[in-house]
Amino acid sequence: MKKSYLTLLLLPGLVFLAAFMVIPILLTVGSTFYHEGRFTVEGYLYFFKDPYFLKILWTTLRVSLVTTAICMLLGFPTAYFISQQSPRKKALLLALAIFPLLTSSVVRSFSWTIILGKKGLLNNMLLSVGLIQEPLNILYTPTAMMIGLIHLFLPLIIITLVGVMENIDTDLVKAAESLGANRFAAFCRVVIPLSVPGLIIGGILVFVGSLTAYTTPALLGGKQQVISTFLYQNAITLNDWYLASVVATIMMVITFVIIMIMNMLANKLNPKG
Amino acid sequence: MRQKNRGLGLFTFFIYLFLLGPLVIIAFASFEPGSAMKFPPQGFSLKWYQNIFEVSMFKTSFITSILVSLAGNLLALLLGLPAAYALSRFQFRGKAALNAIFISPVLIPGIVLGFTMLKYVIITYNLPVYSALLIGHTVIMLPFIIRVIASSLANFDFAVEEASLSLGAGRLKTFFTVVLPNIKSGIIAAVLIAFLESFNNVDISVFMTGPGISTFPIQMLLYVENNFDPTIAAISVLLMLFTAVLMFIIERLMGLSYFTKR
Amino acid sequence: MAMLTLENIAVSYDQQYILKDFNLSVEKGSLISLLGPSGCGKTTTLRLIAGFLDAKEGKFALNGKDYTRVPVNKRNFGFVFQSYALFPHLSVYDNVAFGLRLRKVNKADVDRRVRRMLDIVNLSGFEQRFPKELSGGQRQRVAIARALVIEPDLLLFDEPLSNLDANLRVNMRVEIRRIQQELGITTVYVSHDQEECFSISDQVAVMNKGIIEQLDKPSTIFKYPKTEFVARFIGFNNFITFDSRQENGNVIELQTKGRTFRALHGEGRGEQKGLKGAIRPDDLKLGTQEELGVDFNLLPGKVKVSTYLGRSYQYVIETELGEFTVNKEMEQPYISGQEVLVHFPIEKLIVVE
Repeated sequence: MKKSYLTLLLLPGLVFLAAFMVIPILLTVGSTFYHEGRFTVEGYLYFFKDPYFLKILWTTLRVSLVTTAICMLLGFPTAYFISQQSPRKKALLLALAIFPLLTSSVVRSFSWTIILGKKGLLNNMLLSVGLIQEPLNILYTPTAMMIGLIHLFLPLIIITLVGVMENIDTDLVKAAESLGANRFAAFCRVVIPLSVPGLIIGGILVFVGSLTAYTTPALLGGKQQVISTFLYQNAITLNDWYLASVVATIMMVITFVIIMIMNMLANKLNPKG
Repeated sequence: MRQKNRGLGLFTFFIYLFLLGPLVIIAFASFEPGSAMKFPPQGFSLKWYQNIFEVSMFKTSFITSILVSLAGNLLALLLGLPAAYALSRFQFRGKAALNAIFISPVLIPGIVLGFTMLKYVIITYNLPVYSALLIGHTVIMLPFIIRVIASSLANFDFAVEEASLSLGAGRLKTFFTVVLPNIKSGIIAAVLIAFLESFNNVDISVFMTGPGISTFPIQMLLYVENNFDPTIAAISVLLMLFTAVLMFIIERLMGLSYFTKR
Repeated sequence: MAMLTLENIAVSYDQQYILKDFNLSVEKGSLISLLGPSGCGKTTTLRLIAGFLDAKEGKFALNGKDYTRVPVNKRNFGFVFQSYALFPHLSVYDNVAFGLRLRKVNKADVDRRVRRMLDIVNLSGFEQRFPKELSGGQRQRVAIARALVIEPDLLLFDEPLSNLDANLRVNMRVEIRRIQQELGITTVYVSHDQEECFSISDQVAVMNKGIIEQLDKPSTIFKYPKTEFVARFIGFNNFITFDSRQENGNVIELQTKGRTFRALHGEGRGEQKGLKGAIRPDDLKLGTQEELGVDFNLLPGKVKVSTYLGRSYQYVIETELGEFTVNKEMEQPYISGQEVLVHFPIEKLIVVE
């Protein structure tokens, strides 16, 4: 009786996801190996032999890696500061970090076009104080893309880390201090190791997010393509569905490999075992 | 020690300036009277707000977005609420795997999801754009519905459900008279969070536009490709206000701690 | 007349049996406790009776009616939970009225019965409060009222007092016993606290690993445990392993390592699990033969550890039959290493399995 009851509750959702997500994905992956009536890996050879495609992949990975590293570096101290605040202040700071996350990515990326444009705020400021003579070309470059992505994902890593740091028993820091550690040493030896799993999870979210983001590169990257815009271009503009499927498969493989590696790392580095 | 905290405070201030500054700047730029966006604005005008309503595609795509998000939400709730309940309430073999499947739409790249759906669902079955959007948005809303409701059910003592059963109520009756009233705010929060995810979605919708039909964010993207006037800034301000209101309601309903959990 | 019977019940989870060939019968109007450590199957038994669990095999009947396959919501049993499990979204009044409204009792009767029940549990005036506005003891009384108001055929308690503090626990168990006797309702009560079980029960079933080790009146269990497990559970900390048992009139003669002990009570035969004598630390005597004034059931030993307990001293005595713990009131304590005789009073040494 219980089994049929469970099935009744879970089956509708599962069938829906199977029909509209799992099966299409499997068919897409399958189609890259079975093309024009035979088994083949041609699509992948084609992709990985073309320097232009490889450059797109490389740019995407580079931008995502730098974005992730910067988000970790900036997010960690910020999250630590937030987690040390009184509950009221903490709630306010968290709310201010969550708000951008819930705001449309179109809005958030678009806001940078006003700042980074040739006649934008940044160039105006730099010109007026005489730091530069010619306006900088930032907008529509990988740098602009990176700034947009950091802006997009920094809040994510901050709130993830605050969630982890909140659960670190403050007595642990006091215990470390009582054993002779100064505040900085206690931070290094207690807070940092206990935050590592959160840092890794946050890192995964940022990296995967940057790797697969579409809106921000489309708005800020200009002619510089990344793998997601490349996929879209092949599918919609060029109608090369075979190549698009290959790119989609590559994206999924990279995503899963990263999630798996990071998960393994998180488990290994988790001091709680 | 104090010095260090002050340094950290200053650091945090700059981080927040970076996070929120662009949103403030876009708000100021929306009042620019000229036809190119500038900061600081050269005057004060509401004409770009007016312009939103004069571009008919904004109006139709807004309605499309709202309808798709609402209908998709309802569908996702019908599929997700029973699943969230089963996953929270019962222990059974294969539960972790099922959990992973239900959460996977947020882990799979949106652009891949959109493309595979286009290729093997929409084209294969020759679905109209509206149904395509509905299906796609339901898929991406499902994990949010399930996660938020499950986190609400995590605080629910299932002995209460057994109490109701022992007093004579059947399973279904118990669910509606005892379980539902106690996770009501979690469900509303789930619906609102899923709504925002759906309404703001670009990655999937971008594959599902048709002649004269697109969603609001897609329409915004199309507009900025050809125009650099402050209309988008004005829209952004309205969207941010809308987001702030929904976020406030979510905070009232279940606090914001959900967002810090991974 | 047995009112509640469990026959050859088996319950399994993940292919592991929690209960197997389980039998129990309870008389009408009495309160029976299931007592045992966690994992002994007492809660499983209770949840099976309530209908939250299905029996894999066996039969459960009440008043001659087979309930084995009756779903929980058709059983009309009252269940009181460890966590109280009050409906958080309903007032005290609506909590208690919940079961009556499901039974389509008319409004006036609902009102009358709810108010009467709240009166019985001393909660008149609390009708409009919500569960979170009540103390733990008040919540538990609402839970009891809610279970009782439907006039259940059977009342079930799952560790109802374990979330309360010590003083309240004593008051509440008196209360539970009073209400149960007033209404004469058959009750099954689960707890791991022996004092709690003994104080309120007509009968206690001591359980271990899915088996009832002993089912008796509380005073009988307290004085005459049948098995080593039961003896240990209720504070018989000293055991002697015997090789054989012989009856000599009223006296039971027990042999071990060339020594003979005599006892008067105990049903241990040593057929399955071995034969042991059990005795409480308070019942053992220490002294010289003259001080003790007996010439049997004596064992020489040496004081190993002595601990001051306030009212008495506790000694661990090392003997050739193992170590024994003895409580003794005295002015001048024995010192470690001192030779003493341990006396096992004949009426206090209980033979167990």
